[in-house]
Amino acid sequence: MVKTSVSELPKRTTRSCSLTESARKQHEVQETVEPLFPSVFSNFLFREESISLDVLLQHFPGRRSQVLEILQLIGPLNSPMIPLFVYGGPSTGKSSVVTQVFRHLNRPFVYASCCSCYSPSILFQYVLNQLFLLTKNLRNDFSSSWSCERASDFIILLKDALTQFVSVVGECSDKSDLKQSTALGDGKMIYLVFDNVEMIRHWDGSSDLISILFKLQDLLRMVEVGLIYISRAGPNCYYANIGSTEPLPIFFPDYTEDDLYEILMRNQVNPKLYSSFLRVVLKPFYRVTRRLDELSIAFQPLFEKYREQVSDPKLLPDETMNRRLFDNIQPHIAPSIDEIMKVSSLQLQQDNTGKFSNEKRSAKKFHGNAAYDGLDFHMSLSTKYLFLSAFLASRNPPTLDSAMFDSTGGSSNQKRKRKSSEASRQEKDHNLQAMLLKGPGSFSLERLLAIFQCITYVADCYPERETLDNQMYEDERSGATSDVLLQLSSLCEANFISKSASCSLEGFTRYRCTVDEIIALKVARSISFPLSKYLYRG
Amino acid sequence: MVSPYAMPDPSSPLAAERNPDRDLQPFFVLRKPEPGKVVTTEATHGKARRKIDLSQLSPNSRKPSAALPFEEDADANYEQLRMQSFNATWSKIECTIQGCLKQMNLSLFEEVRGWIYESFDKIKSTGLHSVSNTLCPYPLLTDGIYRQIFTALILTKNMEFIDDLLTFQDLGEHLRSSGCHIANLSYSDFTVKHGIAGCFKSLLRQLVMVSLEAYDITALASWYCQKENNGKPVVLIIDSIEQCYGPVLAGFISIIGEWVIKIPIILVFGVATTIDALRKQLPSEALQCLNCCKFTLPSPSERMNAIVGAIFAKPSLGFSVGHEVAVFLRNYFSRHDGTITSFIRALKIACTKHYSLEPLSFLSRIMYDEETEGTWSIMCESLPVSKLEYAFDLPSCRRDSLNRKSGSEIAQGLFDFRRLWKGWTCVLLCLFEIGRISKMQLLDIFCEAIGQTTSDVHSSNGSSLSSVTSQKLCHASSQSAKGRLIGQAIQKVREISPASLSSLLESWAKHTKDIDEIHSKVRQLQSLLRSVDNDGASIFADVEDDGALKVNEKAAMLMKQIVEDMLKPIESIPFHEIFFFKHVGVLRSALTGDPRKMIQLDLLKSPSYLRCICCRTGDKALRPSMHDTSILYHLAQEHGDFVNLHDWYNSFKTILTSRRDSRRKVKGSSTPQKASAGPPTSDLTEASIQARFCRAVTELQIAGLLRMPSKRRPDHVQRVLLGL
Amino acid sequence: MVEKKAAAAAEASVLLRRRLCDSAFIFAPLRSSPDGNYSKLKFLISNSITEACNNSVLILGPRGSGKNAVLELVLEDLRGEYQDMISVVRLNGLLHGDDNYGMKEIARQLCLEHGLLFSKIASSDDNSRFLIDMLRECGLAHKTVIFVLDEFDLFTQGKQRLLYGLLDAMQSLVSQSVVIGVSCRLDADQLLEKRVRSRFSHRKLLFVPPSVEDLQRLVERILYLPADFSSPCDFVTEFNSKLGKIFVDKKFKDVLGSVSNVDGSISNLLRFLFRVVSSLDLESGLLSLDNFKTASLSIHRHPKMENIRNASILELYLLVCMHRLEVKEQNSYNFNSIMKEYKAIHDAYKSSDCRGGNACLRAFEHLLERELISFTDTRRGGLSIEYRPVKLLVSPHELHQGLKSYPSCPVILQKLLNHETYK
Repeated sequence: MVKTSVSELPKRTTRSCSLTESARKQHEVQETVEPLFPSVFSNFLFREESISLDVLLQHFPGRRSQVLEILQLIGPLNSPMIPLFVYGGPSTGKSSVVTQVFRHLNRPFVYASCCSCYSPSILFQYVLNQLFLLTKNLRNDFSSSWSCERASDFIILLKDALTQFVSVVGECSDKSDLKQSTALGDGKMIYLVFDNVEMIRHWDGSSDLISILFKLQDLLRMVEVGLIYISRAGPNCYYANIGSTEPLPIFFPDYTEDDLYEILMRNQVNPKLYSSFLRVVLKPFYRVTRRLDELSIAFQPLFEKYREQVSDPKLLPDETMNRRLFDNIQPHIAPSIDEIMKVSSLQLQQDNTGKFSNEKRSAKKFHGNAAYDGLDFHMSLSTKYLFLSAFLASRNPPTLDSAMFDSTGGSSNQKRKRKSSEASRQEKDHNLQAMLLKGPGSFSLERLLAIFQCITYVADCYPERETLDNQMYEDERSGATSDVLLQLSSLCEANFISKSASCSLEGFTRYRCTVDEIIALKVARSISFPLSKYLYRG
Repeated sequence: MVSPYAMPDPSSPLAAERNPDRDLQPFFVLRKPEPGKVVTTEATHGKARRKIDLSQLSPNSRKPSAALPFEEDADANYEQLRMQSFNATWSKIECTIQGCLKQMNLSLFEEVRGWIYESFDKIKSTGLHSVSNTLCPYPLLTDGIYRQIFTALILTKNMEFIDDLLTFQDLGEHLRSSGCHIANLSYSDFTVKHGIAGCFKSLLRQLVMVSLEAYDITALASWYCQKENNGKPVVLIIDSIEQCYGPVLAGFISIIGEWVIKIPIILVFGVATTIDALRKQLPSEALQCLNCCKFTLPSPSERMNAIVGAIFAKPSLGFSVGHEVAVFLRNYFSRHDGTITSFIRALKIACTKHYSLEPLSFLSRIMYDEETEGTWSIMCESLPVSKLEYAFDLPSCRRDSLNRKSGSEIAQGLFDFRRLWKGWTCVLLCLFEIGRISKMQLLDIFCEAIGQTTSDVHSSNGSSLSSVTSQKLCHASSQSAKGRLIGQAIQKVREISPASLSSLLESWAKHTKDIDEIHSKVRQLQSLLRSVDNDGASIFADVEDDGALKVNEKAAMLMKQIVEDMLKPIESIPFHEIFFFKHVGVLRSALTGDPRKMIQLDLLKSPSYLRCICCRTGDKALRPSMHDTSILYHLAQEHGDFVNLHDWYNSFKTILTSRRDSRRKVKGSSTPQKASAGPPTSDLTEASIQARFCRAVTELQIAGLLRMPSKRRPDHVQRVLLGL
Repeated sequence: MVEKKAAAAAEASVLLRRRLCDSAFIFAPLRSSPDGNYSKLKFLISNSITEACNNSVLILGPRGSGKNAVLELVLEDLRGEYQDMISVVRLNGLLHGDDNYGMKEIARQLCLEHGLLFSKIASSDDNSRFLIDMLRECGLAHKTVIFVLDEFDLFTQGKQRLLYGLLDAMQSLVSQSVVIGVSCRLDADQLLEKRVRSRFSHRKLLFVPPSVEDLQRLVERILYLPADFSSPCDFVTEFNSKLGKIFVDKKFKDVLGSVSNVDGSISNLLRFLFRVVSSLDLESGLLSLDNFKTASLSIHRHPKMENIRNASILELYLLVCMHRLEVKEQNSYNFNSIMKEYKAIHDAYKSSDCRGGNACLRAFEHLLERELISFTDTRRGGLSIEYRPVKLLVSPHELHQGLKSYPSCPVILQKLLNHETYK
């Protein structure tokens, strides 16, 4: 009923949050709120029944002190609080601890994550919708019935919503009806939880919004509202925008090795086996990353491999067993530490080891088209040449082009290059340093085309090449300007070449080849082009 | 008249509108010119067209004098017939192509579908997946492992993305039909400009099908809670990951990662190049949200084989290409852009050209309505004299001296040709079967098969063939390459295992159904093979396999024989011109018309286009009456690639004011400022000259031939000489 | 008996927390002081109410020194004295810094105050005209409109049309209104344009942080339970006597001193006390000195240290490499050069854990996320992360401390950090 009445308001005016309307909403909600109690207020609470303190504590190994601290600061029933600022690295259990704490306390709270609410207006809506008890539905086209872009409107609405909530809670806690109070959760306080606050810094016009969020206490002036901010970034990142009531910091340190062990050991089917597994893998991984999510994701396939040896899942490993398993798992650890992204494939389910081996495998798997040996995607010949010339253009210093591509086609310039490199060594490694710093250099279209024609010509000089029927070769040549531009664009689309944004009519566009040497070498091999000959190595 | 830069070609409006997407969209996506270059291509457009007009008569073997009158007096009726037969043929070709491409993808689609449901079950097995949870505003308490998003990486093994636009649409359709929610997102949704809002916008547009003022994922959640939507996986297909803007994609993924437990979202990424592309695009934070599994689409060459097998071995289509054209097509594919789309485009152009150039091409329909031979012979007899003459003037007929020229003769010839071609193709099909087994490129086999004519062509082709077949395109000496492939194929027959041999024979039997004597032979072979297998079961292995060898040998011999007596050089058979498109020149000029070169050449000989009296005398001297732009371009030739504006202007002025011949007339020209050439040189004011100079320079710049002065050299313009 | 006591303790803690969150209670004593900001401000406003004249004043002072609280007190009392002769309009620079929206907000609040219907779509000209009319009306009705501009400095950004409009409207004789600017920038009045400043009276009330004695007094005032506390009075006496003992204790003075040295503002003190109160254990129900000590410790934090302690060994390696690069006067460096250094180190000391590029890159990203390092450039086109130059955000000293305090930090790292001369 609330929904309908609000959704009936035409969009135009609902944008506005004028006094009259907010007042209207307010009393509507108040009058209609009585029948809706349980359904409505369960929005603020956990659907699961609340949990005891011990359960809560054993939910979070290694987080005992933080949990207790939060509980203390939130305080007993109906006690006002100074805003809290919960911070710590990613996947240190901030959000879950806070939400579970509320589950334990069974008090109403509103949660908004600034990650999935990626813009102010959406954040505002998200909060208001929870407060105004509007579950979105088909009636109002999944859209919340108002959108407030401006923070000032948000504050006004928020105030309305909160006062209204407080009044409702107040009156029904006065006539202390048992079932209602259970539906309501305990206490007269309502808590606003803002998660991923650090994301806001990347929004535009962020600084204002952050300080508004941190000053909510002052802006609302309501004792019944408790504020909790959760952030990855420490308080030092916000000093600029924190208001007069600076929130109380609570720090979640990254898990220690023991904590991690304890956490990972939770709900395992065969704890003995798993613990022996962890004893092997945890330490080396722990030296690389301490993040729980990364570890658990990395361990899953490893443990699969580990378990392959074990016949029945229930078996308890003894010493010799462990040794055997250890020897078996040992070689896999180092590679799996170094890999970031695992790609499995249906054909060979069991092994997923890093992306490089993946490429090899796929190359093996598709021996059918040996055309692209190693290079597991199709490029047309001239595109390959263009690709290579782009690679050269961005790796070689422009000054050396003449030395590299003289008419004799790279055969003689070997010596010349060596000479020059021997001439000055420190200048050489200075160059190397510079290349290391600047990365692939940018080049103009002319230079690219010049190199392109050089290497096509050179490739022409090779004995294999002259067997090419001339007519076709003519095509390739004449196509050099029309098609090459098109192939260049498709190289850009394939993200091999990045283009500096500038008016291409002017022709001042600069290109930069962003591929690593591995792919380039593959391409070169696929057309048997002596790439290394032309590559300037400092 | 087709120009390389604008599909659909006006000559076949029907074909064009029958499937606009195949014609237009991929083409433009592939060949979308850079903003500035549009002008260039447009500018050339007209001229390129003109070029093709000229070239269209020169390369073909007929005497223009003979050809032109026919072009002129081709009366409406036969025009009509040709049109119809073109449409019929092309629609057939297109359907076959579409069919076999779809067929190729289908198996992969099935795989993906299976995987999707598998992972959907995994998601459901967490038990956290319920309506109340979906609506729950705060994160659920889970392990990190559940936060991962199941992601299918579909490797389209082709750098050019164009072939796979439709593939992903089809995939979407396929999955939708099997009861998933599908949203097809493209790279244009992940741009810097629109940010995350952009992708959510199109996502919600497609799934929720409403437009909101704020696009957030909660809308999706509440949509998913509707009874009719619930309980199905939500699949987001994002094609061409490479082109997405990394940070936005990462943000998108992190948001999805927050909700993946509540909404069963499954991602499908199209990866054009390598899996590394993802690593380069996304930070490890986002990468570890993905639980990837990779699939692979058939590579372009595989698709190519399928298409070739479907098109060129079908006489019933009534259209095929001659040897040079085939070679050209193959090289265009392997060299210039290895996209099926452009191959099909080339094929279509060839088809169009064929029907527009070949006066008798309407007879090609004889290939695919068999029974009505009578009507055909009648039609042939009713041919007008001109056509008859033309027909018997075809080189193939000139070769064997048919003296009495009658329609019935033609009909007879056509029927013979049909028979021969049938045999020819069925041999070709058999060869293809071997090729499929031994992983050859069918197009090469075709080229070689059709290339069996006089040896001079042969050697060159043989080499080029080999250059392709030895997959490096250029590593084999020409001599050894001669007649290589078919020889290899036959050799291959000797080596293959009994199992594959039996399957091979099976397919042969299928192909040679309607040629009885071969068919019977094949049958014998099969029975022999079977018998060998059977008693091979009973007696020793060695006996068995030498028996098998015997069968192989026999099969090879059979193949050799039928190749010899049926794979006749097709281009020596009379009337083959009617069915075979041979004007490679036309095709080449249509496909690789070189716009920049054209502009520059045309600028150099503008008088030949604007046929003005003043310039009719052939001398190359610059006249004030010439087109300003071309004058300027001529002048620029004398400078290096940096042109001093001042000198340039002066020489321009001297030319304009030289009263070498004062009779000037306004030439009907494409460019507006010819009008300004109206006033006689005497009262040419400085101002007007400067104005014309500036305009001409601007035109050159817009044509992409000039670069405006840079900071360093403010008084010089730079000529843009791209490879000329 | 015990649970009775516990209940009492809980009650006490709730009471104390209420006090801490209730600024009115905290700043009430300022009423009594005759020459405090409170009385000045009150005199000024009430003067302009009684004399029916316009006035304007700036309240300046560091954050958390109770500017707003005092202002609220004053307004509260004035409301008590002259019921319907004043109407208050509150603006906040953060929300209404934009001139148009400021005007709109003023109009909205005036409408709300006087029960008029506020139209959302009114243009800002309409609003300002409306403002002028309202001021005249109020002036005729001898009603004073008090404009409270919080975050006053933010109003001075941009065109200052709002301020100008406001002060200009006040020039008209009939209107009677007070503009009160509250800001934590002491130079707030310097930010005003000339035309605005000329219309602005330069009264300034300066808030200074209280002395330690004041703080002590404040603490006592907050923490002592009232005699009429509804619970067994022996608890109250016990509680208060315990407190009394603590307050006279030397250590307590030190704690209080250390707290106020970091940040002498009252709000900081309140945060401190809040931690103290919330750590009150319900068994004994009494505050102990340890409560104060732990609270003071938990107030002082070193986020950088924490971050360094959070880092994994590999990340530490990278940090050390960057440090070494800086020592080598390599002015700018990026991931690649760091990797070079890293490899060099591992070649030098054959250390066990030399990781591949991917792992290092991930660690690098972690460091970026922990904000121990940061890019020195804005994102350049198409250049991947490995090539973008970075810089350390921690000083060598901090790094050193961090390594020292790092549990089980490999010795080699310390060595590498100390022997910078090693090439």
